[in-house]
Amino acid sequence: MVEGKLGRFSRSVSVIGIGATPFCIIDDDPEMKGLTEGEFFGHAALMAMADAGLEPRDIDYFYHGAANPKFFNFAATPNMQVAEWFGMRGKGSVHHSEACCSGYVGLEEAVKDVASGAHDIVLSGCVEMACGLPVTHKPAHIRKPISLEDVLPDLEAIMDRAYTRALGAGHIGQDDWIDLYRNEYHLTEEQIDEVLNKMSYDGRRAAALNPLAMLRTPFEELAKNVGMDDPMEYLRSSYNPKTTQYLRGTGNAPSADGAACVIVCPTEMAHKFKQKPIEVLGIGASCLELMQPHNEKEITKEAARQVYEATGLSPDDIDLLLVNDFVLPSQLLAAEEVGYLPKGEGWKWVMEGRTAFDGDRPINPHGGRTSYGHAYGASGMADVYEAVLQLRGQAGPRQVKNNPKTAMLRGFGGGQNCRIPILRTVD
Amino acid sequence: MKIEKVVEKFYDGLAEHKLYGRKCKECGAIEFPPKYACNTCGYHETEWTELSGKGKLHSIILASTLNKDPWNSELKNYSYGLVELEEGVKFNATILGIRRKNAKKLREMLPLPIHPVFYEKEGFTTLFFELDEVEGIE
Repeated sequence: MVEGKLGRFSRSVSVIGIGATPFCIIDDDPEMKGLTEGEFFGHAALMAMADAGLEPRDIDYFYHGAANPKFFNFAATPNMQVAEWFGMRGKGSVHHSEACCSGYVGLEEAVKDVASGAHDIVLSGCVEMACGLPVTHKPAHIRKPISLEDVLPDLEAIMDRAYTRALGAGHIGQDDWIDLYRNEYHLTEEQIDEVLNKMSYDGRRAAALNPLAMLRTPFEELAKNVGMDDPMEYLRSSYNPKTTQYLRGTGNAPSADGAACVIVCPTEMAHKFKQKPIEVLGIGASCLELMQPHNEKEITKEAARQVYEATGLSPDDIDLLLVNDFVLPSQLLAAEEVGYLPKGEGWKWVMEGRTAFDGDRPINPHGGRTSYGHAYGASGMADVYEAVLQLRGQAGPRQVKNNPKTAMLRGFGGGQNCRIPILRTVD
Repeated sequence: MKIEKVVEKFYDGLAEHKLYGRKCKECGAIEFPPKYACNTCGYHETEWTELSGKGKLHSIILASTLNKDPWNSELKNYSYGLVELEEGVKFNATILGIRRKNAKKLREMLPLPIHPVFYEKEGFTTLFFELDEVEGIE
């Protein structure tokens, strides 16, 4: 692969507003059933404006991200189809789609836009109604159920169509990196299982405290329901079957309906608004196609190198890490790759509870994808929402304990796209 | 600059049991499967080269419930793995003949020598790999 170069922004940019819907299955809740993409995106956008103390008329431009708008929403121009829900008729906007990395790319694009001087106040939002499918010739509030048989064939759309699909080279991803890690540090399959189960356990403990999270029932309760006293016994039992060689059911992210938005502006203007500004110091970027060896590891390494170099920061400066861990091992593996945990030792930190939301090296205090839920394109933006909330000290009972000033996010999606932003409180 | 057909020539090559790649005119690195430009050094020009197909398998990732390949549902025993061809190029591929039963033992013996399998699909030929004979393994 060929390395990239990342420079400093032409002007400093900060997040001044955030908004998010819960991640949920709308059909399970009579109050939510029937809500549409426009309403979800619009609600998150208006929440972000209220958070900042802005009106729609104040927003100069917006970005719309979704992983797969043709499949889930039968829309080819989704930015146009949400714009009027939050008062943006006639204003400029664009849609982008980078699978499960869309949310992080949405932040990157908005920040670059403001940094360039093109616009002052930019909204960037993402939405995915991933738990239902559109029905031909029916309006958007009517949808049909979706099954794994619908989703799995569509997943190949993330792979290169010239070679990767036909050569059977694109399905290695879920177990590839954890297998490499296991061999490199001589762990047994049972040890890996315990570490992943501990991550599931701690993630759920955080999600139980998060009203936006989808799966909130603690494993203690799930264990008790089947006559077990020990939640770890439950996690390693047949109630939590293996779905790949290493992953169990709880190691995969459940699909969700959800939306999230941020608003950014020049840092020099940010003090005018309601909230403590959170500066975006830099965003590293790297992409590798699924056929390329250990691609998640390689792009994480490269994007982290870029952002450390551009910001002059080192792993010791990072107080909080968010990882898009729709495949659970990513949480540990990415944390080691970006230097947030020591190489080969991170799994011990997990076992000691140090990476839990109330530990001294917190990761994913919102619960992580496997408990928070995965609204594909919107997931990254929900991570940005959480990072900003934590840096402001507004996360309530799941607030991390180390008074974080600097957060890193490891955005990843489609098995190909990686973005690594660093966010910092403004003194 | 004339536009050149690369994808079609690659699959035509597979049908004739030949592996075509492209070699960077500046750094000599191989692009496989072939592309126009070099992704090792970032130079714009590559030229056709034929590869032996011989190489090594570096990993074995079993296909299970959530990572099986819908394109290859007819295959019985297959896994995924990191392949390195003797010309130096590395990529992920589908490996035939590896079963849950023998995977554990084979993993301990990695890297293992492999050879290409030219596999006929409806309308095109694709490329998988297979282990050379391994002593003590069925």
